[in-house]
Amino acid sequence: MLITKRFSYFAKVILTAIASTILIFFAQSALAQGETQIALFLFIATAAIIITYLTRVSIPLKFFLPGMLFLFAFVLGPVIYTISMSTFQYQTGNYISKPQSIERLLELGVISDENAPSFDVVLGKTSIGKLAILASNSQIKRYFLSTKDEITDLAPSELTLDENGVAQSAPNFTVLNGADRSKLDKEIASTRFKYQGDFFIKLEGLSAGLINQQSLFYDSASDTFKNKLTGATYKDNGRGNYANIDNPSEILQPGWRSPIWFDHYKNLVTDPTIRKPLFKVFVWTFTFAFLTVLTQFALGLLVALTLNKPFFGRRFYRSIFILPYAMPSIMSILIWGGMFDTEFGAINNLFGTNIAWFQNATFARAAVIVVNLWLGFPYFYLVTSGALQAIPSELAEAAAIDGAKPRQIFSRVTLPLLLQIVSPLLVASFAFNFNNFNLIYLLTGGGPTNLLDGEIAGATDILISYTYKIAFGTNIQNLGLASAISVIIFLIVASISLYGIRRSKVLDSFK
Amino acid sequence: MQKNKFKKGFVAAVVLALGASALAVPAKAADKEILVWADETRGPNLVKTLAAKSDWVSGYTIKIRTFSSFDALKTAVDAATDLTGPDIIVGANDWVATGAKNGKLAPLTLTAAQKANYTANNFFDLSYKGKLYGIPLDINNVAMIYNENLVSKAPKTFGEMVNYYKANKDSKGLVAGLCIAGGGMSWGAHSVFSALGGNAYVMKNGAVDANAKPVSADFVKNVKALLIDPATGKGNGFFPASDTGCKKNFLDGKVPFAVVGNWEWTDYQDAGFYLNLMPVPGVKAGSNGKMFGSVSGALLTSYAAKRGNEAGAKAVLTDFFGSAAGAVAYQKNELRPPANKAAAKGDLLTAQVNFGKASAAAGIPQIGAILNGTTGSKSYWDLLPAFWTAVLTDGKDVATEAGKLNDFLTKNIKAGVADL
Amino acid sequence: MRNWLRTTLWRHVIGLLVTFFAIFPLYLVILSAFSSSGSLEVTSFIPSELSIKNFKVLFTSPTIPYLVWMKNTLVISGLVAILSVIIGASSAFAFSRLRFKGKKMGLQLLLLVQMFPAILALSAVYVIMERVYTFAPKFGLGTQPGLLLVYLGGAMGVNIWLLKGFVDSIPVELDEAAKVDGASEMQTYWQIFIPLAAPVLAVVALLSFIGTFNEFILARLFLVDMNSRTIAVGLQGFIGGQYSQNWGPFAAGSLIASIPIVIIFLSLQKYIISGLTAGSVKG
Repeated sequence: MLITKRFSYFAKVILTAIASTILIFFAQSALAQGETQIALFLFIATAAIIITYLTRVSIPLKFFLPGMLFLFAFVLGPVIYTISMSTFQYQTGNYISKPQSIERLLELGVISDENAPSFDVVLGKTSIGKLAILASNSQIKRYFLSTKDEITDLAPSELTLDENGVAQSAPNFTVLNGADRSKLDKEIASTRFKYQGDFFIKLEGLSAGLINQQSLFYDSASDTFKNKLTGATYKDNGRGNYANIDNPSEILQPGWRSPIWFDHYKNLVTDPTIRKPLFKVFVWTFTFAFLTVLTQFALGLLVALTLNKPFFGRRFYRSIFILPYAMPSIMSILIWGGMFDTEFGAINNLFGTNIAWFQNATFARAAVIVVNLWLGFPYFYLVTSGALQAIPSELAEAAAIDGAKPRQIFSRVTLPLLLQIVSPLLVASFAFNFNNFNLIYLLTGGGPTNLLDGEIAGATDILISYTYKIAFGTNIQNLGLASAISVIIFLIVASISLYGIRRSKVLDSFK
Repeated sequence: MQKNKFKKGFVAAVVLALGASALAVPAKAADKEILVWADETRGPNLVKTLAAKSDWVSGYTIKIRTFSSFDALKTAVDAATDLTGPDIIVGANDWVATGAKNGKLAPLTLTAAQKANYTANNFFDLSYKGKLYGIPLDINNVAMIYNENLVSKAPKTFGEMVNYYKANKDSKGLVAGLCIAGGGMSWGAHSVFSALGGNAYVMKNGAVDANAKPVSADFVKNVKALLIDPATGKGNGFFPASDTGCKKNFLDGKVPFAVVGNWEWTDYQDAGFYLNLMPVPGVKAGSNGKMFGSVSGALLTSYAAKRGNEAGAKAVLTDFFGSAAGAVAYQKNELRPPANKAAAKGDLLTAQVNFGKASAAAGIPQIGAILNGTTGSKSYWDLLPAFWTAVLTDGKDVATEAGKLNDFLTKNIKAGVADL
Repeated sequence: MRNWLRTTLWRHVIGLLVTFFAIFPLYLVILSAFSSSGSLEVTSFIPSELSIKNFKVLFTSPTIPYLVWMKNTLVISGLVAILSVIIGASSAFAFSRLRFKGKKMGLQLLLLVQMFPAILALSAVYVIMERVYTFAPKFGLGTQPGLLLVYLGGAMGVNIWLLKGFVDSIPVELDEAAKVDGASEMQTYWQIFIPLAAPVLAVVALLSFIGTFNEFILARLFLVDMNSRTIAVGLQGFIGGQYSQNWGPFAAGSLIASIPIVIIFLSLQKYIISGLTAGSVKG
């Protein structure tokens, strides 16, 4: 016992040491790359591992720590991120941070002169090691050497020209080779080579230079942009864009993610263009989850009752009925999608119909329920047949002696008891289907959507798929609003589940 | 007591030793690599092209990352940030407006000589608010093909095709007259929409005509006369509201006319069909249905500058993607018509050339700012399929539905033109 | 005879009807896997041909590394299954057996956090892993180890009910006897609990394996290279492609991929059912 104890102790120390070494290694690499948040997380994780496993501060933590670290990093972290996103104007056009936006606007404020000549350039360094371009335009016969500070005109006689009349070398100018250019990429791309007055030459790639000027200027003291050419002034409009002070609808793109606090939540209630489709989806989500649980449970129960007495073929049926549940659901859903195709689908073929299943709201909804029934009835068959066996047969027998008919026994004795046993599962299934994204996304994509009548949400869209559309759809992507809806979904599902947990009294075992 | 001290010392020694060794390892430096993101077909074709010749810009290597699907690429582009975003995205032109608004794309300016290699339409597709964001790569378009075993000569009008279908439907076991085999019910079907008198927008002198009505009164008349069965009020079977199975039906000889995409013409050639490519004929002889002759682009990202790759990325764009030699080498693998004019005259296959010609005859640019309906709130891509379903499948009134369609498209044009 | 009709015939009627419903899509998969037309079109429900073209495509086409996908799936799902069982079982043990403050609260919070709609967290996960990529390119975005790490985020909570229920059912006397012998909590866990829990751990591992197998939204975002994909992502590509729907190879691929899972499922039936009644949900 002592030997194993000592051995396990050393093993523990070495494992802890290895784990903390790896984590410290990554933490310092993260720090080196400027990822301070991740580095901090990793350092704290390392400290937690060392303290937990090498001391006796907390024994439960020894069991929880690995799971908790992953939970914090990949579940809790993203959840907090989503909640914080819901307080931002975060959508197409308002995607980056404010400093990034200012940087982009300044770059977009560089206007090239369409009518001015362009130059073929060769990159090099002057005799004092400054980055320079040797620029040629053989049509207007202009040649010059330019750095960010000065421009020197050159005569063709001083230069070596190639067959196209492009200067290849000049006195006091060392041409950069490919590797040198790639090292200096950042400097090459950002240098404004002197031309004349406010005009400068900017490289487009490595061999062409164009004449540009800066039209948009930023004043950090007043946080405004001024356009030198039009004279317009743009001011922060509080919603993530700089807007023209004379014409607020004219905004500069790109904008930035701007904090708007609870506006998204307010809009869910007050803005009819958001509220109406959301309400429709909300109703269907409840209907869908309810019908799913009802149909799955009903068929599952029917099958369980059918198979609850031994008879020839029972084992066969049993194996068959589990198949839909055993089959990987992603594949089943995709196959059902193909089966409901109007022209080639097996369903229309089988029944000799010509129904456009996914183009018609009612049929599409029916199809979704049928597919989900297929996916889920085996689960309820399995759990109800388990539960039926758990109900003491004396109860039914006693009722029979009292003269009750089989139907009465079922509805008065068996069913209530069964419901009591499976009700937490019904609630769990309801919560699961409330967020059954895969099914909707892969089967109908939320459609059909009656666009011509101005609808935004599809007929089979449930809250989660609708949220996904808002966040990642092809149209406007509104991550802020989608996050706010996610938080609402969470509150609903969490309350349903908490209710389920409380009812099932699972937590009572903790007393 | 003695034992405990020993234990503590041991622990401290191990932790310190390993900790020190971890701290000693330096972080490694990145290579100068131009990272290009592409979809599942263009990615492998670019890899093939670059395997044959890789030194397009000296001092840089070009690295291609292929995504499992166009959707996956789009998802990744949506999620990309400064840290791991690519330098160049080979993507759809309708990503340009969104990418520019989100600060993900960076502008580039071409010299007059470089510009001369493309048509103005090509640049239209890849520009937003007067700035160009990429190099036009290949032309994406559709063309109509007809089955010569069924139809002896090219139809001159839309009505001719409908009459053929009605006359031969039963005797030849046709399941439809004309269907969309490539490009879907909005992008591919624009040629049919336009042949009947509808348009996503009307082009006039190289610009969008903001005053022209997208859905004309003739359109309602034509749809009623040509596509609707007066007895049922639904589609007459000539033009199905869905594109599923169209390709197979055409190949099986059950549909005489099909609109096919320029990315899969080899499938038709391999099945023994002659590629008699043409625009969809209009209602009046001599007119054509306009198709999207859009370009996909190699788009410059703003990440390139962050990564210190901007000059190199621009050079890759102009010297590889934008050069005639680069375009020809790539299209030898991709097999679409190149956007580059010099490359289009190069050593290409007949079908590539013919698709290019069809696009030149009846192509319109694909302007994301209008079509995506970002400001009008409903996209053309969703609206047109909804129209076909409403009219052909559900049997709703053509005039009413066309009116609604017209209202949305008009709104999109107004908003889009203001946004351009 | 009349009695047979009354007691058994109706069972067969219902049984056959439900059998038809349950088996119909599966039958179609087999039908199109062995058909050469490449569509899910049904011209006749009786197979007219037995072509292995689709299977050939999967194993010989240079652009479809099906075997590599299979391997990736087995490695990723297998590792996730093993590691989540380790993480989940230890948490369940602690929740069931150890005394500490805020236990009830902790368990509730753990459950609630799982209820948060994860779809939106997609962009957050993406940003985190992208950052990881900058300093640890082998574990960041676009890598299988990175995807594995993300999957482990759910390891603690997903099957906690099932596991905790099982630990609760192990008699407390056993631990107490061990404690009298001087065993620490860790020793009790490893030497008494783990061997007893082996069957239920196998079920949890299987459920987590299938859950990971079915996951494709994160996988599609992470595994961009053809050769790093999982089966779900790879097969979805056949029919979710930009241009075409290729049902033949999809059906063949699904068939091959499902057979092992179905077999394991059927053979572990008994345990799975006991697990299901304890409230686990298959992904």
